[in-house]
Amino acid sequence: MTIDTLRQFGANVDEGLERCMGMEDFYLEMVELGLSDERFNTLGDVLDSGNFDEAFETVHALKGVIGNLALAPLYNTICEITEHLRAKESVDYRALYDKLIEQRKQILEME
Amino acid sequence: MNFDNSQLDIEAKYERDFRRTILIVDDEPVNLRLLGNILGEEYDVAYAQTGKEAISEIKKQKDLLSLVLLDLYMPDGNGYAVLDEMRTNEELRDIPVIVLTSDKSAEVESLHRGAVDFLSKPYDNPEVIKARIRRSIELSIGRSIIGATGVDKLTGLMTKEYFFRYSQEYDKFHPDQEVDAIVVNVSKFHLINELYGRNFGDRVIKVIAEGVRNASRACGGVACRTNADCFYMYIEHQENYDFLMRTLSNLLAEMLEVQDIRLRIGVYPDIYHSVNLEQRFDRALQACNLLSRNAGQDTLSVYDNRMHEREIYEAKLLGDIEKALLENQFKIVFQPKYDIHEDQPELCSAEVLVRWKHPEYGLVRPDFFIPLFEENGRIKELDRFVWQEAARQVRIWHDMYGVKVPVSVNVSRVDIFDPDLLEFLKKVISDNNLDPADLHLEITETAYTDSVNTMIEVVKSLRDAGFKVEMDDFGKGYSSLNMLTSLPIDALKLDMAFIKDIAENNKEMSMVEFILEIARFLGVPVIAEGVENAEQYLLLKKAGCDIIQGYYFSKPVSSSEFGHLIERNLGCFK
Repeated sequence: MTIDTLRQFGANVDEGLERCMGMEDFYLEMVELGLSDERFNTLGDVLDSGNFDEAFETVHALKGVIGNLALAPLYNTICEITEHLRAKESVDYRALYDKLIEQRKQILEME
Repeated sequence: MNFDNSQLDIEAKYERDFRRTILIVDDEPVNLRLLGNILGEEYDVAYAQTGKEAISEIKKQKDLLSLVLLDLYMPDGNGYAVLDEMRTNEELRDIPVIVLTSDKSAEVESLHRGAVDFLSKPYDNPEVIKARIRRSIELSIGRSIIGATGVDKLTGLMTKEYFFRYSQEYDKFHPDQEVDAIVVNVSKFHLINELYGRNFGDRVIKVIAEGVRNASRACGGVACRTNADCFYMYIEHQENYDFLMRTLSNLLAEMLEVQDIRLRIGVYPDIYHSVNLEQRFDRALQACNLLSRNAGQDTLSVYDNRMHEREIYEAKLLGDIEKALLENQFKIVFQPKYDIHEDQPELCSAEVLVRWKHPEYGLVRPDFFIPLFEENGRIKELDRFVWQEAARQVRIWHDMYGVKVPVSVNVSRVDIFDPDLLEFLKKVISDNNLDPADLHLEITETAYTDSVNTMIEVVKSLRDAGFKVEMDDFGKGYSSLNMLTSLPIDALKLDMAFIKDIAENNKEMSMVEFILEIARFLGVPVIAEGVENAEQYLLLKKAGCDIIQGYYFSKPVSSSEFGHLIERNLGCFK
């Protein structure tokens, strides 16, 4: 993962770097730390179980972190899930979750 | 409002070295590290990941924290609980909090609960974050310092409240600065007012205040006046205090010719910030108070371990008073007084003294615990105990031997101002079926000179009720001759210090003779205390002294021993 590949992925790298006071290594380290969050994995089970309150708390926490890292496509998906859960809407959460995991995988697998 | 040092009477000399401390509370490590990285250049940053940890950290660092950045949603309970606890705790209430939230609706709620601002997630540009934090800190300092009314009218120095607020802020901004808390006291200042008038007294205070201010500024600190004749300084730690001493001494010497008025300076150097601000000044005050008021020169004392031990000892004694009264640890003893008009001295009375046998410390010196009780407003209980015990004893002797032997008891300065004093004494007398004349009241001379009018009024009412009033420690204070003539008293007690060195035709003896002349003029007898040998006794007798007490005749004795003494001298009382 590099600054360039993150940019290709669609991350708002300039914004993320600004929050890291322009320190590229620090930014990449924070992205790795943010993406390794165990809650990406537990979110799927919680959604499947239908416990929307717990799912909301989990995804809301991820939103705070990923938003700060300016990983735009991933952040947009998280926001979408968050808002559906906040409104307690019945949507196909499994599809949205798969999309989220796929986007995360893309970043993690970037050279 | 900007925190303007020059406006606030201080110049931070090494501003770039000074850093404020901020606590960041967030359960997300990424968020903590991002903010820490943004703020680390300008601030010392502390971290907490749960609400519980946050509260514990805030309590621990309350004197140091300039701001808390608080995430609202954390797994163990939300940030609101932290806000609520801070608002209800007086010590934490003034620390400003900025909440971190991605939830628009939470912003208003958190402002209602006492947050000063909010930062939304994702975070703004770091410069915006830093600016908002800076502004929140400045506003909070402004509010807290402006809240405390600023300036002492007479001297232009800070008021005590303002000074403490300011010094607290100083500590937050200069956490690594070694500091000195200093107390400057003008001993016997009331004399200046009395001898030269209040206007001159005010001028002296202003000059000393100016000196204190200049010395504080020169040492990178601030000063205030805490009461009539006492100043506090909070300055950078000094290797020695010669400069301070010289500056203030010279000023006082230029103003005054009276040798008795001296500066007493107490210093507590706080190198490790081990105690809080109030405690630092308590200790400086303690160092100051240990210096004699009667020193012939300006004196300075630095708080040390010995004083710390004494502080603990004093606190223990003060805490034990009630138990001691309940458990009869206080005992009264009697110092016999002899009338020396006749060839053979005749027993005529006794002064009642108090002893404290502490279960842990053994006999505590009365010249230690009595001033301690006086300073801490606890002497009243002890005095009343002594009066009751003394009256009971006079009654017992009357019943046993058929004679009334009057005794004298001490009345402390604070008792004089107690509106209940006369009623209480009357009750003590009637409870024991005595006459007021059986209880002589010894009031120290310095109490008279402190507040002449009240004293004269109270003494008059006591005498009108039939009590005999003796002026104790005469010569130690500064009664003016004019005051003496208007003074309602029944006897003068010579201060021990006068007797100590008397010899035929020496200066001390002339002084004693002079005082005896005054007493004759006033028409009151003179009691000499501390008479230790035959030579002193004979000199005093020759000079016309009326009554004597001291080791030459007898040391203080227990009530039963004094009873035997009465029994052997019954002829003196019939």
